[in-house]
Amino acid sequence: MEKIKSHLGIILTGLIVGAVSVVLVAFGNPLNMGFCIACFLRDIAGGVGLHRAAAVQYIRPEIIGLVLGALIMALAGKEFKVRGGSSPMARFVLGFCVMVGALMFLGCPLRMVIRLGGGDGNAILGLIGFILGIFIGTLFLKKGFSLKKSQPQNRVEGTLMPAVAAALLVLVAAAPAFLFFSQEGPGSMRAPLLLALAGGLIVGALAQRTRLCMVGGIRDVMLFRDWHLLMGFLAIFAAVLVGNLIVGAAGARGGFTPGFAGQPVAHTDGLWNLLGMVLVGLASVLLGGCPLRQLILAGSGNSDSAVAVLGMVVGAAFCHNFGLASSAEGPTGAGKIAVLIGLAVAAAIGGLNLNRKK
Amino acid sequence: MEQIATFHTHFGALSFQRRLKALGEDGVMAPVPRKLSASCGTCVRFTRPFDPAALSDEDLEAVYAVEAGGYRLLFENEEA
Repeated sequence: MEKIKSHLGIILTGLIVGAVSVVLVAFGNPLNMGFCIACFLRDIAGGVGLHRAAAVQYIRPEIIGLVLGALIMALAGKEFKVRGGSSPMARFVLGFCVMVGALMFLGCPLRMVIRLGGGDGNAILGLIGFILGIFIGTLFLKKGFSLKKSQPQNRVEGTLMPAVAAALLVLVAAAPAFLFFSQEGPGSMRAPLLLALAGGLIVGALAQRTRLCMVGGIRDVMLFRDWHLLMGFLAIFAAVLVGNLIVGAAGARGGFTPGFAGQPVAHTDGLWNLLGMVLVGLASVLLGGCPLRQLILAGSGNSDSAVAVLGMVVGAAFCHNFGLASSAEGPTGAGKIAVLIGLAVAAAIGGLNLNRKK
Repeated sequence: MEQIATFHTHFGALSFQRRLKALGEDGVMAPVPRKLSASCGTCVRFTRPFDPAALSDEDLEAVYAVEAGGYRLLFENEEA
């Protein structure tokens, strides 16, 4: 009984994350995209004009909510600890690599689970690649990989990412003319601002409390045979699946449509869906967590994770400025080359940071 | 006495486990308990009396005694 109780928090959090994501789709977010950290950071990059892909430009309130929700929960729990300085450049580059892989697959690990719960068969290939990438990452961990310890830092250092999030909230609410708002495509599909913000705040707070992490779940099973975090992952899938069946039956936006072809914001190239997520899995293990987790840590005072988030944002801008991101038509030639380079770079960062055991 | 060592890096846990092994104990690696840390790092569970001189390095964060009511701090590494 005690054992089940210890897993209750992560399971409930997973169920709530899944439910919130179904609700956000029902109220306007792109299909199978209640949450997608990679897509939403990419949308933010477009919203402030770092790239000019007209279909994916919007300052997503969900991301702002995630950071601020984690901040509030960390402050409430006296866990707002400002640390950083653990190989920031490596973390920036790894964040960049995560984004290259995620925009090949068209989704972060969280959206991968959400896509699975929507019946998107292509995400099965993504999941296989993700598991493979995490496995490779754990080999580096077992061989002594380390980006070195972080150091305590000045409080300002940990406050800046939440401050950036707050500034973005002011911008999206005020909607000045110099910002970009997609008129069509995924960036134009959005749940109402306050609902999206609330969804982010709830999930951010819960994820800080429970350490929910898509990468951590599979990593911990591989390293320690510990299933705790993976239960959150499975709970999200279950809630999205059931939620989609309910909204589908009710005739609302969303629903469960099993298959490979014609899935929303997805393509059917299995090999590159798989390889994209190998890159996401590998680079995320080296970073110590999935994109969601990086946002949560960034909101909790971790400036290393904030740098990883910036790497993802810049990576997203590059992906769209240079045609690396996939579309519903499939991956691009340049995107394939970028994923292969990303795999080589991540493996090099892994290999060059191996330490001999003391 | 059951104890838990927490670390700043996964590599710190690996190294700690290796030093324990040299002293004749097989420490067990696991995810760090939520009560001890908001981070998702690795901890090592062990029973040998903790000797900072033999077991500590810069990657070690702290050592706790596992007690019926929770955890009691035994050692905290100093940071610059």
